[in-house]
Amino acid sequence: MFKYILKRLTLFIPTLIMISLLAFVISINAPGDPVERLSKSANKEGTASEQSGSTKKIKEEIRARLGLDLPVFYISLSTWSDCDTLYKIADKAQQENLLKLSRQYGNWSAVSNYYHTLLGLLAAYDSLNVDQIYLQHSSFVLNEIKEGDSIRMDTSFAEKFSKNEITDAKNNTSFAILSLLETYNEKAIVSKLDTLENDYKKAPYLAHLNPEFIEVKKAFEHLKTTATPWKTYLPKLIFYGNNQYHRWLFGNAPWFGEAQAGQLKGVLRGDFGISYIDNQPVSDKIWEKFKVSFVFIFLSILFAYIISIPIGIYAAYKKGSKFDRISSIVLFVMYSMPSFFIGTLLLYTFANPDVLVWFPESGFQDPSLYKEDWGIFEKMAHHWPYMVLPLIAYTYGSFAFLSRIMRVGMIDVMGQDFIRTARAKGLNEKTVVLKHAFRNSLLPIITVFANIFPVAIGGSVIIEVIFSLPGMGFETFSAILNYDYPMIVAIFTISGFLTVIGYLVADILYAVVDIRISYH
Amino acid sequence: MSENKDFSFKQYAWKQFKKNKAAMVSLYILVFLIFTALSAHFIANDQPLYAKYRGNSYYPAFQTYFNATLTDSTKNPLTGNWEQLQFDITDWKQLELERVIWAPIPYSPEKPDRYNREYVAPTDVQYYKNVKGEIVPAPKKFRHHLGTDAIGRDVAAGLIHGTKVSLLVGILSMGIAATIGIILGALAGFYGDKNLIATRFRYYMTILGVVLGFFYAFIARNTALAESFNDGMGSGILGLLISLVVFFVVVFICNSVGRLNLPGFMSKKVTVPVDSIVSRGIEILNSMPNLLLIITISAIMKERSLVILMVIIGITSWTGIARFTRAEFLKIRELEFLQAAKALGYSDKRTMLKHALPNGLAPVFVSIAFGIASAILVESGLSFLGIGVPDESVTWGSLLSLGRQEFEAWWLVMFPGIAIFITITVYNLIGEGLRDALDPKLKQ
Repeated sequence: MFKYILKRLTLFIPTLIMISLLAFVISINAPGDPVERLSKSANKEGTASEQSGSTKKIKEEIRARLGLDLPVFYISLSTWSDCDTLYKIADKAQQENLLKLSRQYGNWSAVSNYYHTLLGLLAAYDSLNVDQIYLQHSSFVLNEIKEGDSIRMDTSFAEKFSKNEITDAKNNTSFAILSLLETYNEKAIVSKLDTLENDYKKAPYLAHLNPEFIEVKKAFEHLKTTATPWKTYLPKLIFYGNNQYHRWLFGNAPWFGEAQAGQLKGVLRGDFGISYIDNQPVSDKIWEKFKVSFVFIFLSILFAYIISIPIGIYAAYKKGSKFDRISSIVLFVMYSMPSFFIGTLLLYTFANPDVLVWFPESGFQDPSLYKEDWGIFEKMAHHWPYMVLPLIAYTYGSFAFLSRIMRVGMIDVMGQDFIRTARAKGLNEKTVVLKHAFRNSLLPIITVFANIFPVAIGGSVIIEVIFSLPGMGFETFSAILNYDYPMIVAIFTISGFLTVIGYLVADILYAVVDIRISYH
Repeated sequence: MSENKDFSFKQYAWKQFKKNKAAMVSLYILVFLIFTALSAHFIANDQPLYAKYRGNSYYPAFQTYFNATLTDSTKNPLTGNWEQLQFDITDWKQLELERVIWAPIPYSPEKPDRYNREYVAPTDVQYYKNVKGEIVPAPKKFRHHLGTDAIGRDVAAGLIHGTKVSLLVGILSMGIAATIGIILGALAGFYGDKNLIATRFRYYMTILGVVLGFFYAFIARNTALAESFNDGMGSGILGLLISLVVFFVVVFICNSVGRLNLPGFMSKKVTVPVDSIVSRGIEILNSMPNLLLIITISAIMKERSLVILMVIIGITSWTGIARFTRAEFLKIRELEFLQAAKALGYSDKRTMLKHALPNGLAPVFVSIAFGIASAILVESGLSFLGIGVPDESVTWGSLLSLGRQEFEAWWLVMFPGIAIFITITVYNLIGEGLRDALDPKLKQ
């Protein structure tokens, strides 16, 4: 038995690895740039100028904290043309664009050269001083002003270009360069370079930047002429020791001793990163929600078993009777009813001011009455009206399913030889059914425990949303609405882990109930 | 049996199925649902089926079936000017039509009726703007028989058009799931762990082929794929198909190279543990909370669309079908007619496709019928939550969720809920009927 459990446990390891991999792949592919989102929520105070100065630094910090300056996975299958340190480029959009460029031209060194000349041009623009240019291109003019008989000399200020014009030109061109950094289509690049050149001709005060621009054009021409697209058809495997998955799983904090600020503990130690919404650790937020959901899932499965076993037994025992036929139809109908329909109907009937107000409409507690220091019974007394409707909605689906399985299993067992033997021995009907048949008919109903559990976890999303219960399901829903991907991934990983445990429990129960099964 | 010479299992199963009244009724309802879905455009449409306007005959509902923004121009008899008549945005109810045949439900699901906003009940007074521009209580023809929602969309029209979605979920999701499930299950059951024998060289070459195929199909074509998806859904799917073709071609080439006879170590025969690989895959996918997996994947999709949702449902729910197929093939493998096929020297491909598959598919249909029911349940649940479904699409689930916001609007809950319930029941009953008809245990 112990050996079997051990064997089962080792079989679960690949499953857990797969779940973690899937969760990680999902978190990597989440749309948007996490750095942008986190830096926005971190940087709400301060004036605009303070912000722009500190933003870059904050972004760098967040990147390091999230481990985004690392390669994605242990292995990377890429083409010969790819650069194996591309992950070091901070901007996600630029990084993607460089990848596309290198796939398009198959010559990383030329792409890199082009990229650096562009960056150089951008830096030159950023260092432009508008006031200086303005003064350089303006002059003082001497005017003769006749006032009656006397002629007075006066100086006036003649500006060739207005300050706004220069600022606009500067902003426009640096915007054009930024968009070039995210363009990979050859025609688009050519047309953007042409517009830039036209801008130069229109604004002679930018002429001293021409050398840098010519560099860019040269680099692009070089890129076009030295393209080696065949390189993109050769596969290349790259191995990375330290990578994002490794850090996501194991963290970078020491396993023993205090972790320093900014260090991650990794998923294995219950650290799921930080929420995009409020910068708080996901694991702290999730625990409370998890407790609520778990209470509901546990109670509903318990109730489902308690109700469905007697019904199943009785229906099977009185096979073909009125009770059997009616209960079969009712159970079948319930089985086909979507839980969100039942949930909404329950709300409409029992929490509707127009019909009946037996139960509160939503939530898990009344914040004006609820006190944290209550004893467990007071808390339960407070919670129960909130729990009735959701529990019914939670329970009924698995209850119908379980009753049907119990009935079929019991009918199957009642037809077996050992039941006939028991009856032939002269045992009374009660002993035959409850002692001999019952235990054996439990087998199928236990195996489906493993199937009910994941369904219950997934179903919690819908039911918790209907009844506004502050559990994991509701949290998933609001995380999706707010694009809070670390939260979604964390919930997915935890649920997957719980499901795997559910399977393990079902297998062990199976072994306990059916002594015929040998596990060696 | 002796009096009827060609009394096949198929006929027997059909006879058994016909005996099951509930399943037969369900089959009729299903046919009705399919008919409704196919003709939804003509059952609920705010454009008339036939209209005579200013002397010209139009068939707007039929004409816009292929070209939604069809435009015609008519001459205004009063001013003599030519006026544009774009069929889909014209309010046909306001035109002075000389003769008209309306669709049975003269409303389109996504177009609001501004005279019946704010949850008008089926029994309430409903308003209607007639040709003269007066707002009068709606005549029977233009009543919203199942009520309206907050912005005045007709619930009945939404229900009719929602049939299309639920039917498509069944076809697309289960089509994908059945393809994956039958192929993997058949391979696993037919070969088991010991019966697929290849030379070591071919084994390694095939693995290499899969890696290379993945490389050429998805990594080297990365940019092209991204671009085709940017162009739109249709070209994106085309790009994906090209990638799949590339993948299989590369695998095939590598596999063919593997046929070469190499001396020594490489020509040793090895068994390929197909069954273990597939079973482990099924186990892993099964031990993930399916609904949460679908929700999570659809949450990271850049584009929200029903088709993507159906594809996700399809590729996450093939395990049941694969398990059924595998079990059936394990059984069939040992039967005499397959032994005979083997003894006759038929290739594995021929044995599998021509002899095993036709005989092993029957139980899979049962699992497909139940699978469609649960796929519809998942889809309507997600539309109810509004996850992965575009905001403007009208499905049964999204209609039901509208009812959650307004406690008075019982019609928004009852009618879509009953529609979902009936559809799921129909598939479940057909599944049960199939199972009873095909189960050899009950064969007497």
